[in-house]
Amino acid sequence: MLRIKTYWGIYKEFISNCFVEALSYRLHFVLLLVMDMIFYLVSLGSVDFIFQHVEHIGPWHRTEFMFFISFMIAIDHLHMTFISESFWNLSHDIRTGKLDFILLKPVNSLFPIFFRHIRPGTMLNGLLPWSFLIYYGHQLELNVIAWVVLPVLLIFGLTLLTSIEILISLSMFYLVESFGINFLRMQMQQLSRWPDFIYRFYARKFFSFVIPVLLIGSAPIHFLLDFSQWQRLLEAGILLVIVWILIAFGWRRALRSYESASS
Amino acid sequence: MISKELAKWLQTIKIGWSNQLAYKLNFVLLVIGPTLVFFFIKYNLWTAIYQLQDVDTIQGYNLSQMLSYQVWVMIVGFLAQSYNSMNLAEDIRLGRISSYLIYPFGFWSFHTANFFATQLIQFIVAAITLAFSAVFFDFVSLPTLTSLLSGLLIALLVGLLWFQISFIIGLVAFWLEETWVLRVIFTTITQFFSGAIIPLELYPDWLRDWLFYSPFPYLTFVPVRFFLGDQSFGLAPTIAIIGFWIAVTLALGRFIWSRGLKLYTAAGM
Repeated sequence: MLRIKTYWGIYKEFISNCFVEALSYRLHFVLLLVMDMIFYLVSLGSVDFIFQHVEHIGPWHRTEFMFFISFMIAIDHLHMTFISESFWNLSHDIRTGKLDFILLKPVNSLFPIFFRHIRPGTMLNGLLPWSFLIYYGHQLELNVIAWVVLPVLLIFGLTLLTSIEILISLSMFYLVESFGINFLRMQMQQLSRWPDFIYRFYARKFFSFVIPVLLIGSAPIHFLLDFSQWQRLLEAGILLVIVWILIAFGWRRALRSYESASS
Repeated sequence: MISKELAKWLQTIKIGWSNQLAYKLNFVLLVIGPTLVFFFIKYNLWTAIYQLQDVDTIQGYNLSQMLSYQVWVMIVGFLAQSYNSMNLAEDIRLGRISSYLIYPFGFWSFHTANFFATQLIQFIVAAITLAFSAVFFDFVSLPTLTSLLSGLLIALLVGLLWFQISFIIGLVAFWLEETWVLRVIFTTITQFFSGAIIPLELYPDWLRDWLFYSPFPYLTFVPVRFFLGDQSFGLAPTIAIIGFWIAVTLALGRFIWSRGLKLYTAAGM
């Protein structure tokens, strides 16, 4: 309990610092809002244009598909607000040796590395993805249980995505120039933004069990649309635990290979 | 005089080439990876749409034609959409451009020479990708020589336009702390409106008509149509339109550079 209180105290400081920083650069703050809005509208617009020419894609009609896309942009919104920025700084911190100062702090280093930077501007954009999520959820006539578990599954999807990204980012410790790893991470996000059934057999298996990015959105949505499909959610939960074990193991190995550029 | 200038350009291109390939994995992840993954998703998506829906044609495209269109989108992506001048904003913010102000080789020339180096590498990547696609994908057929040359010419001109736009976005760093947001906005809008995700024939008529008054279709859709053998846009008018936009961006770039320099304070010097 005391530990949670300590970490919450640190996180509050992170948030407060990020707010001060964000308000210093107001135009950047506004542009971030615009960027996210455009991304959300393009994601939904692309699918909408396709559905003007087809009745359904696989088992889903337009509404199910749009609900899935809304779910993914809601995850993306949380990811952009609370997580994304920190990943971009890691490669720079490793290359310049700035990571030394983070490692010296009396907290678990993974916490300030991956949760230090927040984008307050993006927080304001939450209304749009949630409006779409509620609108399409309403059209699908989700029952009360589905509405209750929806936020939980959203957090679950975000946790799985973030965990996979942390695991991928550990490879930055082994490269001299690791900026490109962020692009690999982003490509994994791109893959997860489409439902699993659009991928062909081997691709679907690979991205469901080896790098389980397809479970981020597909497992929760299949479950929300049909409660009998809980097995995928269970698989996602098991794979999440495996990813955490790999992170714990990989983090120790990565630290051993860290050369501390500034020393 | 001309040979001296040419030597500077060639030397900078050589250095740019070496810099790009110094970290090969980084280059693959940064340049080749995103375009390949983008194609991989669209390949799977369109295959699923046609096969799971059991339709033959969508707006005149059958599955083979749609996949062929997506392969050419990938080739145009390699040829025309460089990621150069990504560090330009950082150069301005950290005061690194001061060196260029006293060098006998200008800031724009340096970045343009670097762009040519990247373009050369991406040309090779595009050629390998096309050869690979022609061998392994039965839906890809090689274009006629006329289509290939006209498509190539247009794609390379689009590359120059793309670079100029990226350069202008980078120059905004004279006023803005970060310019990557503008770059992401530009890329996202372009992907959507240029027909990189879905062919423009699938867009509502009113939107498609409106789009042809903008440069967006010329960034992907038009070069792809040329590669596919569709000459209906006409080579000369297409070159004239892209040339017009290049001239506009060149003029705008010069204007922003001259205005920005007045604000420049060489932080950290």
